[in-house]
Amino acid sequence: MHWIIRFIVYHRNLTWLAVTVCLCLMMLTSNTTRQSRISRALTFTVFYPFQFYVSQTARIKNIFAENRKLKEEIAAQSVTISLLKEAALETGRLEALLQLENDITYDLSVARVVAREPAYISRSVVITVGTDNDVMPFMPAINSRGVVGKVIQSTRHMALVQLLIDPSNRTGVLIQRTREVGILETENGDDFFIRCRTHADVNPGDTVVTSGLGGVYPKGLTVGVISKIRENHDPLFKKVVVDLSVDFNRLEEVFVMRVHSQWSSFRAEIDSLERAR
Amino acid sequence: MIMYYLKWPLLFIACFILQTSFIPSLAVFGVKPDLLMIILFFFSIRYGVMPGLLMGFMLGLTQDLYTPALLGQNALTKTIVGACIGLFNEKVMRTDPFVKSIILFVMFLVNDAFFMLVLVLKNNAHFSILAPELIIKTVPRALYSVLLAALFYVWEFFPKHSGRNY
Repeated sequence: MHWIIRFIVYHRNLTWLAVTVCLCLMMLTSNTTRQSRISRALTFTVFYPFQFYVSQTARIKNIFAENRKLKEEIAAQSVTISLLKEAALETGRLEALLQLENDITYDLSVARVVAREPAYISRSVVITVGTDNDVMPFMPAINSRGVVGKVIQSTRHMALVQLLIDPSNRTGVLIQRTREVGILETENGDDFFIRCRTHADVNPGDTVVTSGLGGVYPKGLTVGVISKIRENHDPLFKKVVVDLSVDFNRLEEVFVMRVHSQWSSFRAEIDSLERAR
Repeated sequence: MIMYYLKWPLLFIACFILQTSFIPSLAVFGVKPDLLMIILFFFSIRYGVMPGLLMGFMLGLTQDLYTPALLGQNALTKTIVGACIGLFNEKVMRTDPFVKSIILFVMFLVNDAFFMLVLVLKNNAHFSILAPELIIKTVPRALYSVLLAALFYVWEFFPKHSGRNY
């Protein structure tokens, strides 16, 4: 017993290092769903007011350039809107002919990004809407360019959005031209790819949109564009590299689509499974 | 006396808030400086291994609260980095600002190498992505941060020398 105490006393630094590293490994390997949920809620309460006001100050710097850019964008958008109106009228006529019914109804909530995950890869952002604005987990977040991510947690005045660039995120997508379905994956939060059948008809420049199969994102939201196709030794699949439309380094505003995901009806069952895990 | 004990925790909280809200607006070609690493470096090099690793652990854990999936990832990397920086404690060895900058640069590589290693193991990704990641992402980020850290030394160095001239 004495030699253990003597070892600890003489090698305090080593002991502390071993203890903290073991703690970290335990956290990494254990089920942290509930634990991280509570701790995140605490962080939001402590840091959110400061982050909100600091981010307000930082915004002033960019306000003039942003104004000029917005004016240019409005001009471009007005042209697009008139074209889209024509297309919507045409679609309406065709849908009426086919007796199709649009089953997705949603509102958009505008939110500002006030904080990012301060890590090597920013996998999540904090936004300024919450349950008071009817923003709930599993609601998709988008911006003018395409899909940003999904809400994974919401408190009264704020929500945590898991970004599409999180390597643990898997998103169901389809290639718009050929309707080829796949899953968007990444290993490093930077290079995105879809595994497609070797003989699938895919070309660089094809647009990738959400497939609506995951139950979170509605079908047809822009995700990105195919940049290249990597041939590998796999006889069944090839890797299709995708450039995401959204610039995640310049994320300032997002829109939360208040659409109730297909998961919401299974919420109680998912929670019970998480508890049992 | 109270401020003596509260100085570093307050500094860490301030840096954490700045890192999450203000620092992204300083990004150059998507490269952001890492204020938390800089402050951990100054703390560990001043106080040594044990305070360094404990502060690294606390700081990493706070960072992890923002992570949707991997709780403990930043805590592990920052603990190791805090302990490593503590080995170059100012009370034990004197190093000039240039050597300190190199130490900080190397610690960035250590931090990101462990970070990516955990990510690779957790996502069953291939190890070949490690080296390109370190070169493409870590080196510019480390250089930017080292430059920012060097400003602290300039700020500390100049008043002393101008004082001697008078």
